[in-house]
Amino acid sequence: MTGPARKIPQYCYQCVAGPDLLTVTVVDGVATEVEPNFAAAEVHPGGGKCCVKAFGIVQKTYNPNRCLRPMKRTNPKKGRDQDPGFVPISWDEALDLVAGKLNEIRAKGLTDEIGYPRVAASFGGGGTPTYYMGTFPAFLGAWGAVDFSFGSGQGVKCYHSEHLYGELWHRAFTVCPDTPTAKYVLSFGANTEASGGVVGSWRHAAARVRGLKRVQIEPHLSITGAASAEWIPVKPKTDPAFLFGMIHVLLHENPRDALDVFFLKHHTGSPYLIGPNGFFLRDPVTRKPLLWDTRRNAAVPFDTPGTEPALEGRFTLDAYEIGADGHEWRHTGIAVTTAFAQLVDHMAQYTPDWAEKVCDIAPGTIRRIAGEYLAHAQVGATIDIEGETLPLRPVAIALGKTVTNGWGGYEACYARTLLACLIGGLEVPGGTLGTTVRLNRPATSRQASVSRGPDGFMNYPMNPTGKDTWQRHPKVRNAHATLVPLSANSPWSQALGPTHLAWMFRKQSPDHWPEVTAPELWFVYRTNPAISFWDTREIANRVAEFPFTVAFAYTIDETNWMADVLLPEATDIESTQLIRIGGTKFIEAFWDHDGFALRQPAVAPRGEARDMTDIATELAARTGLLEKYNGAINRGAAGAPLAGTGWDFSLDPAVKHGVDTIWDHVCRAASAEVTDGKATDGLDWYREHGYRTRPIPRLSWYLFPELRKQGIRFEMPFQERLFRIGKELGQRLHDVGISWWDTQLTEYQALPAVKDFPGIWEKDAAKHGTLADYPFWLVTSRSMQYAWGANVGIQLMDEVAGNLRGHGGVVMNTGTARKLGIEEGDLVEVRSYVHSTRGPAILKQGIRPDTLLMIGQFDQWAQPYAKDMHAPSMNALVPMSLDLTDATGSAADLVRVGISKVRAAA
Amino acid sequence: MTRWAMTVDLRRCIGCQTCTAACKQTNATAPGTQWRQVLDMESGEYPDVRRTFVPVGCMHCADPPCVHVCPTTATRKRDDGLVTMDYDVCIGCGYCAVACPYQARHINHRRTYAYGGGPNETEAARFDPKRMSVANKCTFCVERIDAGLAKGLKPGVDPEATPACVNSCITQTYAFGDREDPNSNVSQLLAENHWFRMHEELGTDPGIYYIVDEK
Amino acid sequence: MSFTEPKAGRVAPWIQTNWDLRAAGNFIGGGSGTGLLIAAAFAVGAEYRPFAVVGLGFVAMGLLCVFLEIGRHLRAPRVLAHVGRSWMTREAIVAPFLFGVGLAAAWYQTPLLAWLTALLAALYLFCQARILHAAKGIPAWREPRVIPLIVATGLAEGAGFLIALSAVFGVPLPVRWPELGLAVLLVARTVAWRRYRKRLQAPARALAALDAGRLAFDRIGNWVAAPLAVIASVLTPGPVATWLAAAAGVLAVVGGWHFKITLVTRAAYNQGFALPALPVRGKGPVGPAAKPGW
Repeated sequence: MTGPARKIPQYCYQCVAGPDLLTVTVVDGVATEVEPNFAAAEVHPGGGKCCVKAFGIVQKTYNPNRCLRPMKRTNPKKGRDQDPGFVPISWDEALDLVAGKLNEIRAKGLTDEIGYPRVAASFGGGGTPTYYMGTFPAFLGAWGAVDFSFGSGQGVKCYHSEHLYGELWHRAFTVCPDTPTAKYVLSFGANTEASGGVVGSWRHAAARVRGLKRVQIEPHLSITGAASAEWIPVKPKTDPAFLFGMIHVLLHENPRDALDVFFLKHHTGSPYLIGPNGFFLRDPVTRKPLLWDTRRNAAVPFDTPGTEPALEGRFTLDAYEIGADGHEWRHTGIAVTTAFAQLVDHMAQYTPDWAEKVCDIAPGTIRRIAGEYLAHAQVGATIDIEGETLPLRPVAIALGKTVTNGWGGYEACYARTLLACLIGGLEVPGGTLGTTVRLNRPATSRQASVSRGPDGFMNYPMNPTGKDTWQRHPKVRNAHATLVPLSANSPWSQALGPTHLAWMFRKQSPDHWPEVTAPELWFVYRTNPAISFWDTREIANRVAEFPFTVAFAYTIDETNWMADVLLPEATDIESTQLIRIGGTKFIEAFWDHDGFALRQPAVAPRGEARDMTDIATELAARTGLLEKYNGAINRGAAGAPLAGTGWDFSLDPAVKHGVDTIWDHVCRAASAEVTDGKATDGLDWYREHGYRTRPIPRLSWYLFPELRKQGIRFEMPFQERLFRIGKELGQRLHDVGISWWDTQLTEYQALPAVKDFPGIWEKDAAKHGTLADYPFWLVTSRSMQYAWGANVGIQLMDEVAGNLRGHGGVVMNTGTARKLGIEEGDLVEVRSYVHSTRGPAILKQGIRPDTLLMIGQFDQWAQPYAKDMHAPSMNALVPMSLDLTDATGSAADLVRVGISKVRAAA
Repeated sequence: MTRWAMTVDLRRCIGCQTCTAACKQTNATAPGTQWRQVLDMESGEYPDVRRTFVPVGCMHCADPPCVHVCPTTATRKRDDGLVTMDYDVCIGCGYCAVACPYQARHINHRRTYAYGGGPNETEAARFDPKRMSVANKCTFCVERIDAGLAKGLKPGVDPEATPACVNSCITQTYAFGDREDPNSNVSQLLAENHWFRMHEELGTDPGIYYIVDEK
Repeated sequence: MSFTEPKAGRVAPWIQTNWDLRAAGNFIGGGSGTGLLIAAAFAVGAEYRPFAVVGLGFVAMGLLCVFLEIGRHLRAPRVLAHVGRSWMTREAIVAPFLFGVGLAAAWYQTPLLAWLTALLAALYLFCQARILHAAKGIPAWREPRVIPLIVATGLAEGAGFLIALSAVFGVPLPVRWPELGLAVLLVARTVAWRRYRKRLQAPARALAALDAGRLAFDRIGNWVAAPLAVIASVLTPGPVATWLAAAAGVLAVVGGWHFKITLVTRAAYNQGFALPALPVRGKGPVGPAAKPGW
């Protein structure tokens, strides 16, 4: 090798735990290695490091299996068994093909006869593709109505219930502990060491050494469990019982003053009085919810100054109650209790002894854990953060996937949030924190998204359920605004709706429901629903029905196998984009700075791959949308608005700008934003420095100060609003004859109850055979090496992942295996009533005897390299089913299975 | 006298393989050859199970069995503690590989590629024919150490002079420094914590120290 | 499958793959060859040349195996560079002398040259034993009692070889009761084996492989061969006695070869990885030691 090596700064946002910063070394035009951006250690809360996947970026670039030329399908038939007959075409022909289709659609009108957008688009991974698709969002914005409903797992396999309820209760799209300050963390299956990325791993390692005790409660000993002080092997889907058992201990086995009574009285809805119909009792004049003031010995509106509210007790008064659809009751001389008193009564049945049987864990565990939680809570302690005195509560509870989605997700998230409130540890130092918002606006500031609602809780952009306001006719195919009020109406809302319904209803629409038409054009980018969703065989069939699919392709995969056009994107280090960094964000990315970072071409794009920004500009020009497209960029579709107070770097709307020009303008705007207009450096500056940040207050980590400032209470424990919404939604659905969402409506409880959640999956399996045919729980787990970013096809990732036991096979308990005559390495088949998968048995002690585990998402049949791994995956085995769908529209990566030996290990 | 040594804090390691990948990339090792490797070790019986992640590789022993057996002196021990390889001298007999109780030495007899077929651009650029059919192993990134020292940088402190695995770790599992300097990062960590060395009973005097608990 | 297969979960010891049958060939060729050269010195009164040639041939075959195994064949002469510590170097230094003197002995067939050859052969055999012992990475090799065992089996193989070859060549041996000599060497070998096995600390699978090979190596190679040799020694000299003795000799040789193949391949588990203590993860005690595969 000759010539000096250059180190080119980049960001990595292959997964949602980032972005992280790195450099790529280039020698004579060839990328050779990745290193952390050491200079960033000053501002990056993970020492400026990047994780294992980032080190695969070089091989990702030079993957010989990449699509490097635009391709057109020649076989009109689509399906898994139909070779697409892709032939290379020129970019001109490819863009004309796509633009031609788009113009055809535009001429007909953006929505079809049902009212759905004719153009659909699917992107993967929690918003990560957005930061590799250049200005493509601007093109979609310019286009108009686009249906994002056809998901690849988002909205259902993610932390779904936590997203929705979390944002409602404490602006928490996701939740994480205040790890640097916490002393005790209960983690119900949150796999931070696999999914928390650099910052999550960095923080927790430091916390462990400092003495933070984390208890991992999950059916198998995950990476996170391994790095925890204790592992409790809980039965799948019984976490709500565990949490409710803990609540019972705190409420019924400890003195009241062991809890943070002040917090409950003044910062939650605990003192609100509850009427006989299950709604708040309200002041007749102001309609405000009432509490009982022990000072005045009377019921007063909740925000009356100088009250000493009663936390519990029985009180007699006259009041109003407002139910669903404005129905009012006027009460005189009724005896009522507080929300908190009702909570205490409600929790009496959930004893720890009952819970331990449900969870199948050792007796005494829950009492002990609840005791440890309480002992570490330090109720009454305070800390000074930047001049503000805040409660210090160094305990927190984290929940993971399959706990935070599907049936039981509501109950688990509720219980966790309530447990935080009981000790005053919600949104305070050391405690349980939200990370960011994606449903509330603005996405850049949780605090700015807070405003006070009429009942003293935070406002929330619920999709309306009123007689005249409910969205009777869904505007997108997953009908999120119609079925899920909590899914709000932000740019992310569609992806947070029940995205499996779009696929399911394509096959068979339910009663009194419009036909779910196929989109006339479907864009697919960095996503592979035919592998990553459920009932994947059927997904492939549905994809094959779409008439025109445009796939931005990295390699051939199981979804773009059904495409009509493949457009090769210039991948991570071959193209240009700017991303916001810092602030507070999932998964545990809590920074003391925020700003922007650049990724840039370290090497020339291979073959005929093109920067997505170029592709977007071309499409905009060819569809007559150039002005709107540039307008969208000017307004901020590329990550930062191009004009601010005192600066304007707007693009000339009429001109087709090149990649460098566009991003130079965005960089200037970003510089201005970060420096309050003092600096306006453009692309060249970012190319050299890689990133630009400014400090942010530590207080921005906590939401409690904002609520306290605005006089807002946390909407706990009584979910009166959800109760009302559920009734209204139910009425709206029944009015049009829909009863197939009735079970989902049962989730809208003011005080959630623990149901037999495992039983839901058992009954579902039993409907298709007998439960004895499916004696095992099948679960899945994340792996840092493979997750996101098409890393299943990267040899380096595969090689290093091989050092961890569990990849590529079926993990089962050693004792169980021996009973079944299964030895390490034997080929086994795992089947559900939907489908089956095969892989070598991997025997471990660290998994429940009744549980099997498959890590990651595999079973590829088209993607080069990955298809030769023959690694099993649960995705084809999991049904898409309304029975398994909860009120928020999610289900879980969980299914009952049987296992048998196919043949002995070679 | 300097002795370069490494501490590995097992309390921190999460088995993410970032160091495994970083080492492979910096040292351009062949597919399947890992100079730095992180193991996944389970022990105990359900439900009382532990799972430990253990970074391993050449221990740069002070009494290295590989150096004693090497018939060509291709592998030697430097005064600063590094066990070095001279690829030009090695005959690839494999004696060092069976002498090493840490399974740290490798020989690649055939050229292999990540994706079969032929080399990708990086593999073509980084291929070193000197490394074929001879023993290879972790060098503690000796080129980085030597180049860094020449510039007045401090290995283990300045990233440019520090082994790639140490630089890459996302949990601060590694420290690298001079064991003979009581004020170095490694010496301080060893003074403050309980540690062990692997296969201590074999008398190799290894240079990687595993931390398990604070004192 | 992909690269995930070979390395996944390799914390417990696994069979080393650096030295294969070719390395075993070196110990077979070198061990039997030198043993034969030593035994042949006793026959120098009568017929010596064929035994010496076969002996040297076996040693050469062993060295050829090694040559085929190394990665850089043209650099082979570099093997002589580390006489200060490396037993492989020392073996390589002895080799030219062994061949020089041995060929001279085979030509001239004088007792002096024959015994000098035997001495060099003994030195060579000792080097081979030390080569194995110095391989600290393989528990079954580094046990110190492997040295007397390798020497004993070399000598026993040599004696057995001599007796078998004498039957094949039709050459009577000038030594009195060579069969008894073989029997004594087989007793020495079984004693060396027992002492080695008793003290050996190795991974469970290595021990299992050795114990599985015991049938061929010890029970047949020693406990069947030795009585056969004794019986042959007391029978009237004749074809029966000769071929019985030859059978004993063949069993002794093959038993030795079987042992060396087992030792170098099936029992050659490496050390694996072990933790004398497990780390604290936030809170709690240090965990108990873990030594998978032992």
